[in-house]
Amino acid sequence: MSTISTADFSKGMFIVFKNEPHQIVEFQHVNPGKGSAFVRTRLKALKTGKVQEFTYKAGDSVEELPIETHEMQYLYPDGDSFMFMDNFTYDQVGVPENFIGDFTKYLKASDTYQVLLHEGEAVGIRFPKKVRLKVTEADEGSRGNTVSGATKTVVVETGAKVTVPLFIKEGETIAVDPETGSYVERAQ
Amino acid sequence: MKTWQKLKNNPALWSRYLLRERVIKKIRSFFDERGFHEVETPMLIRHPPAESYLDVFETVLLDRHRNPTKAYLSTSPEVALKKLMVAGMGNCYSLTKSFRNTEAGDRLHNPEFTILEWYRVGATYTDIMKECEDLILHLLNTISFDHDKAKPCRQGLALNSQTLSYRDNYINLAPPWERISVKEAFQKYARVDLEEFSTIQNARRIAVSMGYSVANENAWEELYNQIFLNEVEPHLGINRPTILYDFPVAVAALAKKKESDPRFAERFELYIGGLELGDCYTELTDWKEQKTRFDKEMKEIQRLGKTSYYYDHDFIEALRVGLPECSGIAVGVDRLIMLLTDSVNVADVLLFPIEELL
Repeated sequence: MSTISTADFSKGMFIVFKNEPHQIVEFQHVNPGKGSAFVRTRLKALKTGKVQEFTYKAGDSVEELPIETHEMQYLYPDGDSFMFMDNFTYDQVGVPENFIGDFTKYLKASDTYQVLLHEGEAVGIRFPKKVRLKVTEADEGSRGNTVSGATKTVVVETGAKVTVPLFIKEGETIAVDPETGSYVERAQ
Repeated sequence: MKTWQKLKNNPALWSRYLLRERVIKKIRSFFDERGFHEVETPMLIRHPPAESYLDVFETVLLDRHRNPTKAYLSTSPEVALKKLMVAGMGNCYSLTKSFRNTEAGDRLHNPEFTILEWYRVGATYTDIMKECEDLILHLLNTISFDHDKAKPCRQGLALNSQTLSYRDNYINLAPPWERISVKEAFQKYARVDLEEFSTIQNARRIAVSMGYSVANENAWEELYNQIFLNEVEPHLGINRPTILYDFPVAVAALAKKKESDPRFAERFELYIGGLELGDCYTELTDWKEQKTRFDKEMKEIQRLGKTSYYYDHDFIEALRVGLPECSGIAVGVDRLIMLLTDSVNVADVLLFPIEELL
């Protein structure tokens, strides 16, 4: 374990909070006046998935958790978890749904993802900036929702719905930003 | 997407942005009816007041021969308004842009923001508490919230003239609002006796016993603020507005000390829906104390390595001539509009938010 300062915080980082492993879901600097600064965080407990807020003094020391990243293939959903297989060891691990969040909508079987492990337990996956998804349902004849601009909603191979420009056709592949769920570009 | 593109794509968003013009008009009519002067205070200034907790924007003023002089963007209209009160203007307000650097990137701040600041002669902070209630209710009662047109963006939240919905909470705005002193709030929410907490030794011991990490270099004010931010602030103004008043002197240096208990100063903060909307003082009128305070603040600015400047000595001179007894408050207008449009992010109520620059 290594000691870091609040200045090293980044979104998605894993730290020890009140003796328990947590992930930094969000953080922001706050300055209530008179020179001193604080860092407000939202922390997710790895064991329970419970999210809570905590405000650190800027400069407070925090223990960072050692996290390993393994390339793994996504297999199938299993109850509240999603099963992955290590590309090198062939070990299988389940990643609890609350560590994947909305990204579950974009998981594609047999695609490779970077799974984050802490002491052998899966604690999340590193989301790519863009995911490539094939459009499986698109209403060709639709003039789209002209009130809200030249867009329409299509269904992609994972079942997720995405709002796209009118020119996107069924069978095409598009890139989607998994963080916002929004269309980025037509992918080749 | 830029905001103008979002608006072009989704015209239903307009109602959220257009609420601003109605709020601005109604703020003006409120102060008009009460006989206040509206003042245009400068945004470009030579000498900011000394405030170590703010970062100023520095720029360069050139004369006709292109000789440079440092200039700054104003962090608030406070000193300009106070000088005018020394000159005899009487009750006055400014509704203007102010600038605070390094405040980009979170949901509650935009480095360029709209501020409403008003001062009432002969008033104390209790008068301003009442005036805040009057102002907010005036806005709710006179702005027509267009329910139908607003629906697509979850707006039109003034359910009636005294109830707002904000972030899935109902806020009852019927006056009088909750008034709780900082001391009471620490007792109630953090179970901390602020009188016991008042020395650095006790503050350290109490913070450690509550599970906070405490380093030797941590100042009293840091320990106080960490407990305040973690244990007190999340409870303020949730289902009705909260006026949090009487701050320890160490965190209210520009406010007048209470005569009944000089360890506390006459300052209050207004919270509605978890948003800190305003900060009020019974103003310090003692020029010597103000100068001492400014000198101390400048040392702090240098220690922190922030943009340094020559502070406004003309303001000290004005105080020496004599600021009438008065009280005033600064209100964040963008946050007020967030509240009235049920917006979580300040960028959602700005047509040109800072994110579009970065």
